[in-house]
Amino acid sequence: MKKIIFYLFFVIMAATLPYYAGGYLLHVSTTILIFMSLSLSWDMMLRTGQLSFGNAGFFGLGAYASLISVSNLDIHPVLSLFFAAVFAAGVALVVGFAVLRLRKIYFAITTLALALVFEVIVMNLSDLTGGSSGRVLPQAIFGGNSVLIYWLILFITIIVILISELLNKSKTHYAINSIRNDEITARSSGINVFKYLVFVFVFTSAIQGIIGGVYTQQYAFVMPESTFSLDFLLLPIAMALVGGIYTTMGPILGAIFLGLISEYLKLIMPYGHLFIYGLIIVIVILFLPEGIYKVARKKYRNRKSQEVKLDASSEGK
Amino acid sequence: MKKLSVVGIIFLLVVITLSLSFQIRADEDPIKIGAVNPLGDITGRQSTNAMELAVKELNEAGGLLGRPVELIVIDSELRPEKGASAIERLATSDEVDFFVGGMASSVHLAQIPTLKRYEKITVWIGAASHAIEEAVGPDEDWYFHLHPWDYQQGASYAYGWKDIEEKHPEVQIDSLFLAYEEGAFGTDSYESYQEYFESAQEGEGPYADLMEDFSGVSFVSAAHGGGDYRAMLRQAMNYDPDLFIWAGYDADAVPMLSQVREIGFSPPIYAGSPPGWPEDFGDSPLAENVVFFGMWAKSLNEVSPVAQHFWDEYIAMHDDEPVTYFAPLGYTNIHFLAKGVENAGTLEKEAVIESLREIEYDSPVGTTLKISPSRIISNQGFSEQKIIQWQDGVQEIIWPFDVATSEIIYPYEW
Repeated sequence: MKKIIFYLFFVIMAATLPYYAGGYLLHVSTTILIFMSLSLSWDMMLRTGQLSFGNAGFFGLGAYASLISVSNLDIHPVLSLFFAAVFAAGVALVVGFAVLRLRKIYFAITTLALALVFEVIVMNLSDLTGGSSGRVLPQAIFGGNSVLIYWLILFITIIVILISELLNKSKTHYAINSIRNDEITARSSGINVFKYLVFVFVFTSAIQGIIGGVYTQQYAFVMPESTFSLDFLLLPIAMALVGGIYTTMGPILGAIFLGLISEYLKLIMPYGHLFIYGLIIVIVILFLPEGIYKVARKKYRNRKSQEVKLDASSEGK
Repeated sequence: MKKLSVVGIIFLLVVITLSLSFQIRADEDPIKIGAVNPLGDITGRQSTNAMELAVKELNEAGGLLGRPVELIVIDSELRPEKGASAIERLATSDEVDFFVGGMASSVHLAQIPTLKRYEKITVWIGAASHAIEEAVGPDEDWYFHLHPWDYQQGASYAYGWKDIEEKHPEVQIDSLFLAYEEGAFGTDSYESYQEYFESAQEGEGPYADLMEDFSGVSFVSAAHGGGDYRAMLRQAMNYDPDLFIWAGYDADAVPMLSQVREIGFSPPIYAGSPPGWPEDFGDSPLAENVVFFGMWAKSLNEVSPVAQHFWDEYIAMHDDEPVTYFAPLGYTNIHFLAKGVENAGTLEKEAVIESLREIEYDSPVGTTLKISPSRIISNQGFSEQKIIQWQDGVQEIIWPFDVATSEIIYPYEW
């Protein structure tokens, strides 16, 4: 119930943000939502026990798919986002059949290489992708209207949050939890491990693809070096680790915390803010390895159980 | 009635006093210039230092239109979305009058939709990709771009080599070999040269009569885990070009030159076009006679009083030597804009745009800045780079001849 109240509060506050926040805060919030969705998608894959570094690759593929579908196929920018999702999912399905046979570090390194491979392919298809110079759109989505762009990204983020919550409540949750804890036991219990891994890999890639698409439509350009940048991999991971992995709330809190603190530090410390930002991430991960959300939840539950004990003892008297 | 009159007079006095005080405040309010630079990078840091120097000089000279000038700088972190949010902040929270900056084409591309929304006068010194010109479009008269576009740079080298051939008949360039790092930077260079070569074969474009033959081979940059250039250099040696150019990063400069000597490769002209050179590269004997392209060198101080003034004042203010051409460009950025406002005599947008189009600014990069149209936009500043050669550890300008500080040493020997 409390969680539902929190989500309702979050949605109302977020949806009404354009009415009380200025353009700057709105832009910062848009960026936070983009990284929040990426962070959630990375975490959902992690819940299967597989450490995927494919974020940036599928983000980039979605970005290119969206731009090309608008420029070359004259698809509406909003529809191009679905095309981006489907394209990224399709590639993930094909790639997944190969890479999901791998486990642990082998899987992680192979997925890390995906962004590099996709980047090289994109650079060599210069007639379609613009090669190393990239391509631009005549204008950003909704004519660059920042409020409409914000609402679009908020809508996508809410869908991603819902998917993450549903995943944690569904039968799939038990299956992937079991795979994460002990794959052999899961397999011997009749769980089709490969099927579940492919399923989660494909839909998290679709999320990364759609986010890549919306990023491109917001800024109206693609360029291999920035579109496949490792920023779209490392920052979402940092956000999930700081917030707390294997939960929906962790990446949400991590994205809000790191997104706001990075902007705040920059304003009070124009030089050297990145050093402090990095230091904060290291300190949080070192001293709160479970993440902000899990630590806060544990403290809250401890306090509650102490209160219950105190109540019980006072009633006993 | 009398009481009403007294109240009326007092009210009137209060209104007049308040409006006068607002008027005085408006006159004292600074003219705000918002800059977005990558402060973690030397280009952004030195450019910001130079902008601060220019603002200090303006304020010491009485400000602009009788008002002080304030520079507000935000770090772009070399990330597109951060660069765009910086513009948003400068426009809405800081309410700046003008935008200036900045580096990196990808960051600037992300800023274009936001800049288009506010349509404030923008004078940009970096970001050379022609994609930016496409994104800005032909109708945005508030947008001024000072750095030469990538295609202008390539063309200017051709004009330079042709001038050098004419002045020094012993210099003969018919064939060109490009060694390029296999990332976006190098591949982009290769594609540009390939296009120039195709045009030259049809007798068109800047490389006509200069590039009768062309070949290129990629290499893995030391910056990306490479560093063995022997195979590429042997191919270049077999090709035997008149002009050898490598497009890579500063990390490639020293190891590639060592391997050039190791295999005995000695092209008549050995040129490199990294974004920057390693620190103290000039002190290395490997640097001798290496040619490169750039916008500025310290040696310009010998031929340009403006460059000398900038050099002296920069060191006096920051206790550090400028090492990147983005320093004098940053200085140019502010003074060019200030001169436009001063000549317009107002902050009114159309007047300032017209004024900026008329200015001829003698800049510390050794070239007079004058606005003219480029392929798409109407307000382009510089259109060429310089050909520079390392001679006795010093970067000497060898072209354009009007700011040359030395003659070319030819052929390349080691």
